[in-house]
This record gives sequence, structure tokens and C-alpha cells, in this order.
Amino acid sequence: MTITLTINGTRRSLTCEPHESLRTVLRRAGLHSVRFGSETGETGAAAVLVDGRLISADVMLAAQADGHDVETIEGLSVPGRLHPIQQAFVETGAIQSGYSTPAAILSAKALIDRNPNPTEDDVRDALSGILDRETGYLRPVHAVLRAAAIMRGEGPDNIDVAYLQPLVGGKGTPSDRDGLSEIAPRVVPSRDVPETRVVGKPETKVDAIKLVKGNPAFTDDVDLTGTLIAKVLYSPHAHARIVSVDDSNARALPGVHAVLHHGNVPRVRYASGGQSYPNPLPYDQVSFDNKVRYVGDRVAAVAADTEEIALAAINLIDVTYEVLPAVFDENEAILDGAPVIHDEPDMDGAHDASHNIVHHLKADTGNIDDGFAAADRIFEQTLRVHQVHAAPIETHIAISAWDSDERLVITSSTQVPFHVRRMIAPLLDLPAKRIRIIKPRIGGGFGVKQEMLIEDIVAHLTMATGRPVRLELTREEEFVSSRTRHPQTVTFKTGVDAEGRLTAQELSIVANTGPYGSHGLTVQMVSGLRGLSSYNCPVKKFDCRVAYTNIPVPGAYRGYGAPQALFALEAHMEDIAAELGMDSIEFRRLNWTGVGDPLDIAQQLGEGDQDAAVMPLVTSSGLEEAVVQGQRAVDWDRRNDPTWKRPADRPNIRRGLGFAMAMHGTGIPGLDMGGASLKINDDGAFNLLVGATDLGTGSDTVVAQIAAEVVGVATNDIIVYSSDTDMTPFDTGAYASSTTYISGMATKRAAEQVRDQIIARAALMLGVDAVSIDLHDGAAWSADGQSVTLEKIALSTLHQEGQHQIMSTASYVSPESPPPYAAQFAEVEVDIETGQVTVTQLVMAVDCGVPINPVTASGQVEGGMVQALGYGHCEEMVYDEDGRMLNPQFGPYKIYRADEMPRLEAILVQTMEASGPFGAKAIAEIPKDGVAPAIRNAIADATGARIANIPFTPERVWNALQEA
Amino acid sequence: MIAQYHRPLTLDEAIALTARPDAVVIAGGTSVNASPDNRSINAVDLQALDLAGIETDGESIRIGATTCLQDLVDSMLVPIVIRDLARREAPNTIRNAATVGGTIGTVDPESELLAGLLAFGANVTLARAGSTAEHTLDEILENPALLNGAIMTSISIPAKGVAAADRTGRTPMDRPIVMAVAHRGHDGAICLAMTGVATRPVVVEPGQVSALDPPSDFRGSPGYRKNLAKVLASRVLGTVAGGERT
Repeated sequence: MTITLTINGTRRSLTCEPHESLRTVLRRAGLHSVRFGSETGETGAAAVLVDGRLISADVMLAAQADGHDVETIEGLSVPGRLHPIQQAFVETGAIQSGYSTPAAILSAKALIDRNPNPTEDDVRDALSGILDRETGYLRPVHAVLRAAAIMRGEGPDNIDVAYLQPLVGGKGTPSDRDGLSEIAPRVVPSRDVPETRVVGKPETKVDAIKLVKGNPAFTDDVDLTGTLIAKVLYSPHAHARIVSVDDSNARALPGVHAVLHHGNVPRVRYASGGQSYPNPLPYDQVSFDNKVRYVGDRVAAVAADTEEIALAAINLIDVTYEVLPAVFDENEAILDGAPVIHDEPDMDGAHDASHNIVHHLKADTGNIDDGFAAADRIFEQTLRVHQVHAAPIETHIAISAWDSDERLVITSSTQVPFHVRRMIAPLLDLPAKRIRIIKPRIGGGFGVKQEMLIEDIVAHLTMATGRPVRLELTREEEFVSSRTRHPQTVTFKTGVDAEGRLTAQELSIVANTGPYGSHGLTVQMVSGLRGLSSYNCPVKKFDCRVAYTNIPVPGAYRGYGAPQALFALEAHMEDIAAELGMDSIEFRRLNWTGVGDPLDIAQQLGEGDQDAAVMPLVTSSGLEEAVVQGQRAVDWDRRNDPTWKRPADRPNIRRGLGFAMAMHGTGIPGLDMGGASLKINDDGAFNLLVGATDLGTGSDTVVAQIAAEVVGVATNDIIVYSSDTDMTPFDTGAYASSTTYISGMATKRAAEQVRDQIIARAALMLGVDAVSIDLHDGAAWSADGQSVTLEKIALSTLHQEGQHQIMSTASYVSPESPPPYAAQFAEVEVDIETGQVTVTQLVMAVDCGVPINPVTASGQVEGGMVQALGYGHCEEMVYDEDGRMLNPQFGPYKIYRADEMPRLEAILVQTMEASGPFGAKAIAEIPKDGVAPAIRNAIADATGARIANIPFTPERVWNALQEA
Repeated sequence: MIAQYHRPLTLDEAIALTARPDAVVIAGGTSVNASPDNRSINAVDLQALDLAGIETDGESIRIGATTCLQDLVDSMLVPIVIRDLARREAPNTIRNAATVGGTIGTVDPESELLAGLLAFGANVTLARAGSTAEHTLDEILENPALLNGAIMTSISIPAKGVAAADRTGRTPMDRPIVMAVAHRGHDGAICLAMTGVATRPVVVEPGQVSALDPPSDFRGSPGYRKNLAKVLASRVLGTVAGGERT
């Protein structure tokens, strides 16, 4: 049918099928800002204005829009200018990946057009349909309020950093929190940090303009002529042997170009986790197997002219299964007689595949019995952590094609382009040099894209058809067939002496890695490392069995084993303090690690050289300051105020405050490597090429600021390109909280070499000694006040004299992993008659060294806390008895939306970490660590109920209240 | 899959189109388009019929069937409890399309708005070829086949009375596990309705709350839901009995 609608002021006639959604038709018409988040409309990534009203274009037929006015962000986007709402989103740091930012801006426009003076509640309601997995909504909400003020003609204040006076060793309580703007990044400065010009400043993101305008920037925006659509046939059974596959009907369907399955794809074993060479064993996957091991496992894939044909072809593939018994619980899977999940003859590299034990990890720092013998009291506690999904709004998507050199080019939303290239080559039987991986902008990753997940499917299909092939996972496929967080059964046993000091701490875990190892080894190593590094203890022991089961596959997810271990540890420490009658923070303070304390279990758990004689030590910690700043921000003394805890007018409500300490790592020492290349152009601006993969975190901006600081230019004089296996230096990828520290240091080194080259030419041009020259404000300055601009220097070196290209490449691997520390606080209300927990406030004070960009760092903390809130409070993957996920859709799988958020506050406590670029440590993952235990401890403070498993959904809490 | 799309310009034309067995009426379309249907269907879009709008004569409030949920939220004519329940129905990206009639027609099993309309004793007007008829909302939800071959034109609720709602969910705006809403009319009659205690929103006799036999899902077992039903019913009944306007 033909429809006529006005799109951004222009009447257009478009052809569509009656069943096609408005999103499909708008994207086909070239409006790339209308993005896929789900089929059912609840992510809002495809929201557009229809007659001025915000509507999810996923669930509106294009036919329904016939005759109406449709507005997309492209209508607001004028070259070289920003709409005031776009400007406000840029200025407030409201953009992370930017995937749904166009929809959020349209929502703001619809609101402000109707109501020029909206309240915060109005804004939160207006944003309620745009799910955001990244920002925690704080900055987007304030961006809209700011835009409304600007459009009313009010001139809002600049968003400056709010410097809070240190409280530790300070004099009294300063009034520096009075009247603080909610989005002013809070920084507690350290006297050890030198003055800088660009680093430490709230610079706007280098990719903000293209994101705020909705310019084509993501994988889905790549349009290649003749692209085929891929669809995958997934297993309906949790465990089954494939007896036969009859693909004849599918192949016969007109428009089908290839059907792949175990019968026609070579069997090459691999591990899908995106990790450094050599990938850890076991290699327990093949592209298409003759056995399926979970509901959602791959069976076959097709490439067809259209999505409809591909789906029809999938339904025509006739598969005969021999259904096998399945096991889902990690403790049952390792018992004698459990179904053996990897019984194939070529299985190799698991600890004991016949008992579904993939790995058995052990580490200790001495004889644990001696430690328990020295204890006055011994406490033991078992807790369970469950399975959740990272749920980026952009699902996995990859497009492959042959280029003119007959090289395979795969554009993929991946965190690990270099790993993918190396790992995929043997599967395709192509030399790696014939493969190029391009990572465009990514619409959120959080670890789930640290995987070679779908790239082999599109690559095989392109090789089979010679055509470009595109595969994008549906929301349900994303939930079921991508990667998730490992569930664990966690037992802590701790000996404490009469003063409250730890004498022994033993951590035993049975972890569930689903049917494939993926990140099963290293996630659990991090659980051991993080679970046994926060507190000093003379003897520590770690024992962990990692089990195969038939649940959808766990893998990497922001936090990577730490949230599991730290939920258990911080619940355990809280309960020990209560048993001892000690203040919960004082008990921890007596034991927590500080500067000079050993990271004594690290070397055995993959961190650094196991045989190295030198014990890694904590080199910086702002934990004490973080704790007292957080206590002040959350008004911790209310724990002792019965009128607050039992509000007289709401007899069914109990209030409480909870604390958890968190300690994380900064990259993987001796392993994570980043490269950077910096080149000057003849306008005095620079290209910075990095292999690091900005997922929306702002890492491109951070590396630009680092380079700008060193060569003395503004951040926007650094043009960043990331990342492309043909064009940029190698980088292990965005994971392990490594990018600022590792890739940032590589950038700093490359920039320092470029600076030396610039200074050498400047010295010649100015006729002065190089040692007297300093670079700043886009010029080289001699001690006597002469200067020459970088543009003149570049013109000279490129065009005029002794011509050469000023550029340099550098890389970095760190021998250490300095821990960031954090104090996490939560405030809750518990309805004791129903068990409903309402989280009303989250405060996190974090020592990330020197935040290179306080706005993006605060955004990492705010958004991370909200993901962690979902982990502790409401998100869970639930299955029926046959292993089918019951809630593979947002809503039933509940993630927080803008109009139901607790108050959020991030406080950045500076320390000067000598090993990091300009003093930086990591910040990306630590916000995931403390929220679940802080909520749990707040529930205990409110009600006395001490809950052993997350999430704190109403019935679970109610049951605990009945027992308490 | 939608095979054909129709946009009738008159009520009679719409009624004629819905007589086909493969006809599916769409108003906002948010439900039909979100649940792919393998059947080949004829979509009958009511947007051109001018059925939207809210009016009152002081005694009752008439809500046009294709009034979108957002217009309910924004209307000063509509009781505050119903406005709040409409807001809780869906985020604004859906509320701007989804309609009151569509919420009824799909018998949304956990709809707080439907429970609210039940508590208010809503009546539904259906137009058929040559006639119109009024049914209680409860009759329609009990027997959705009443809608076959008909076009829902409006819903009416009393303008006066007091009402209260309460709920338990995983998060503040989550679909509740159990929700209760009570309305006391100007004649003093109290009506209680709930979600999460049956396969659809239902009217519950206040004395029969402890006799409920709720369904189960991962968010709440039958026993837990029974507890919630008792607690929440007692709260909302207490509020409306006290005459407190909410």
C-alpha cells in the first residue's frame, strides 16, 4: 500500500506492507535516528512525534500514520547548530551511548511544547517510555529542565564541578553541600594532584554532536546494497541431540540464499569469550553442533532477501530431536548421575566434563585451619545470587560483506573487535589478514558484547552467498541467546579474634556457567579475587567449582564476578558485626585494606605474575574520605532516629539505611594492552586512533582529554577514531575497567612523543632551547614569552622545511591493577505487611584516583548504580521447569524507568594514583558492586530481616519478614 | 500478520468490516502490533470515527472508546484515582497511542485501569448494525465475545463518589502483583475491584477477599497473593469508608 505522511515538514509518499511498523518504514526512508530496541515498544528507542505526541514507532503501523505529521530528530538537526534541547543534553552529560538520545530529546520537545515550565515529575513522566540502561536518568532529566529554562529565556548557570572540602582531617563540617545542583559533579580534591588544563575538567563528549543529532553512527545504520537478512533457528529444548535436519523445504523457498547447520558447516571448536590469546580452555563450542544444550542454543541459520522470508524459512527447517534430561541448578549439576552436558568425543579442556565441572579453582595464602584456630568466633553463611541480563538497548547486531579486495569486512556492535578477528579466522578457515572488524558507535555493551557471539553466523552466510548479510537479535533472542551474569551459591566462613580482627576467611563457590565455558573461568577468578581482597586477613582460602548446566549462557557482565562475591561478603560482614555487637562500619574499618596493605590472593587468581617475588600492594585509597562523605550525604545518623525509622503516620512502613564497601581492580595486570596513535594535521589539530572501544562510557573523550592535555590543545582539536582492526592500533577491548588506565596511558605516551617532536621543531622556529618550551593553548611557548602556533609548526613540518610527519604510536601494559574503592549507601522503605521494598536513595562515594572527566565519571557511577539496583531489587531471569525463559521482555523482566527512580548521588573522592594517567584509576565497574548488599543491609536495619538471596522482590522479603 | 488495513470513515462501515471473522479492531494498535499473530488478519482502524473525547453532565462521565490513555491522564473531568491508574497503565510512549477501548477489548489481564473502571461500575456502549446496547464492564470482561461484530463507542462512569487504590509491585511503577481499588458512590455503596487475584481484573465482594483463589506466577504465589489481597483490600476499603477523597 502507499501512505502519505508529512515527515519533518515534508510531505512524502511511501510504499509499505500493511503489517509494517512505522519504525521499519521510517528507517527504510533513511531516518536512522529511529532505532530498534524491541518489537513491543517498551524501550522507546524508536519513539517519534506523531501530530506532536510521543509514540513508540515499533507498535504503530505505518498505515496508522497515513495522513499524519511525523517528526524525528532529523527535523531538529540543522548542520552546524544545535536545538536548545540538544545543547542541554550535551552540556549536562546526559548522553552515554546516545542510542536512545534522539527519542529522549523528542520526548522533551513534546513536553516543553505543551508545558514550557515542567516540574521534575513532569519530565520524569515524559521520559518514562524511554528505557535507559546507561545514565540512571539523572542527567537526562536535568537536561530537559535546563532546556526548558533556556527556552523560557532564562539563562541557567554553567555546570561547574562542585569541589567538596575533605572531611577526614578537616575542621568540622563545612556547609559546601548547601544549595548544590543535583548534576554538578562532586569532587573531593586531593592536595597531591597537580594542576591541569584539560584533564579533570567537565569537557563535553567528543562524539556528542553526532549522537544528539541522531546521525547514522551505529551498526544498524550501515546500508549495503543487496544485503540479505539472517535469522537463526534456536533450540526449543534445554538438552537434546539433533537426530536429523531436513532443510530441503527451507532451501526451496524463493528468496532463501543459504541454510547453514551442523551438516554443512565445518566443526571447529572454540571458546566464545572475547579474551586475550590464548583463549582459556575449554573450547566447548562449534558454530553449529549436533547437540543443543539450552533453550536458545543455535540449531541453524538462514540468509534470505527479506526478514519475512528468513522467518518463513526458519519455520520450514525440519529438525528431529532426541530430548535428553536437563539440569539447571549448579549444585545438582555436579552430583553423580546428573545429565552430562558435554559428552561429545572431541570435548577437551574441562576439569571433569563427566561431572559437569568445567573448572575447579583453588587458591590460599596459608593454612586456613591455623587461621580458624586463632579465631575467637567463627561465622559461616551461604548466600545465593541469581541470573540477570545486561540488556543493552541496542541488541547484538553484525553485518558482514566482502570488500573489493575480497576481504571479509564485519561491522559489529562489539567491545572486542581485535579478539573477534583473531578468534573468528579459524572458524571460517580464512587467514586473519583477510578479515577486518569495524566497531562503530555501540548502543551499550556492559560486557555482554565482550564475546564473539554472532559474527561467525553472518560471516559464514556471506561466504556461502557472496552477499552482505545482516543479523540483529530480537529482544527475546538477546535475553535468551546472548550472555548473562553467572549465578552462584556462595559460602563465606570467617574467623574473628576478640578485638574483631579477621583471622581467617574462606570463600567457597559453586558457580553456574550454563552449557558453555565462555567467561566461566575468569569471572569466577574475579569472584575469588574481589571476595578476598577487601579486608586484611592473615589466611585466606578460595575454592570454586564452575558447573555446566542447561540455562542460557552466562558470560561477561559489568562487574565480572565481583557483584556476586561482594554481595555475599558485605552481607556476611554486616551480619558478623551485628553478632559481635559492633558498629557495622567500625567493624569493617578495623579490617579493610588501605595503602601499603598486600593484595595477597591476587597473584594466584590471574592478576600479575604468580612467580613474581614482589607482593602487589595497595598504592592509593580514598576509602576513609569516601565513607565519611557518603555518611554525610545520606544522613547516616538517621539510623539511630526511631521517629524516622518508624514514621508515625505510616504504621506499615519501616525505614532503614545500609552500607557496603566496594573495592575493584583497574585492568588486568600484565595482560590488558592498549595502543594509541597520534598524528598532527596541517591545521594544528590531531587524529587520535585508538583500539579502545567506547561503549558509550565516554572513553573516546577521556583519551582525547589526555592527549589534549599533553600537546596543549583543546579537547575538540583531537579527532578520535575508534576502533577498526585495519586502521587503529591493537587494544584488548573495553573490559576489566581498563580503558582509562591502560588505553589512557598508551595515549599519554604517544602524545608525549608527539609533544617532543613538536617542541623540537618549535625550538628551531623560535631559536630557543627545547627544554625551555611548554605547549599550551594551541601553541609552543618559550620561557621568554615567544610563541608559535601548532598550526604554523604543522605547516612547517609538512610543507616547508625538513618535511616529516609528526606522529607517534605507543602502547601500554600495566604491571599492576590499583584498586578503586567505594562507599555505597542505600536508603529503603519496607512495607512490613506486604514485603514491598522501595529504594528511596543511593549514594556512592568513590575513589577512582583522578577523574579525567568528572561529568562522564559521575555518569558512570549514576548509571552503574541503577543497573546494580536492578540486580539487587527487581531483575531476574525466570524459567519454567523445561528451561524456557518466562520473562524475555522488558516489563516482566523489570528494569527501572525514569519515573520511579530513587535519588542518586555520586561523589568522586580524588587520590593521586601514581601509576595511572594523570593519577586515574578505574570507575566503570565498581558502581555495580555495593548496591545489592547496601540495600540488603538497609532492609536489615529497617526490619531485622537478613536476606540471603537477591533480588529483594516483595514475596521474598515478605517470607523473610515472617521468619524474622 | 496484518494482511489488510482498513480505515472506515463511518460507524456503519466499521461495523460492516468487523463482521468478517478475520477482522481485528485496532484503536491505538499497541497491543495488536506488539503480539505477532500468525493468522492473516484484517485490521480495522477506528481513528477516523471521531470516537475520542471526554465529557460530563455532572452525574456521569462519558469517555469515548478511542480516547487515548494520555488524554485520560490529562483530563480534569476524570476522577483523580482513574487518572492515576491510566498513568500507571503504560509509559507515555504507549499511553499516547493506547486507548481506553483497546484496554477493555484486549481484556488486559493485569490492568489497573480496568480494575478502577470496574470499581466505579463502568458501563460500556456497543454499537451494532442498527442498534446500540449498554453492558456493564464486568459483563464484557467476563464475555469478550460480546464485542464480536460490534464497535465499542464509549465508556461511562459516575462523576461522584470517593475512591482509593493501593498496590504491591517490585518497583513503584511496575505492574502490580496484586492491586486493589475501592469506590464509594454518592449512595454509599462500596465496590472493590482487584488485579492479580484472578485471570483478569475482577470485582470482589469485600466479605469474600479471604475466599479468593489467586493464580500464580514467578512474582507471587497464590498464598502470598492472598495475603496481599487481604492487606490491600483492607487499606482501600478503610480509606473510602473514612470518606477521605483520594
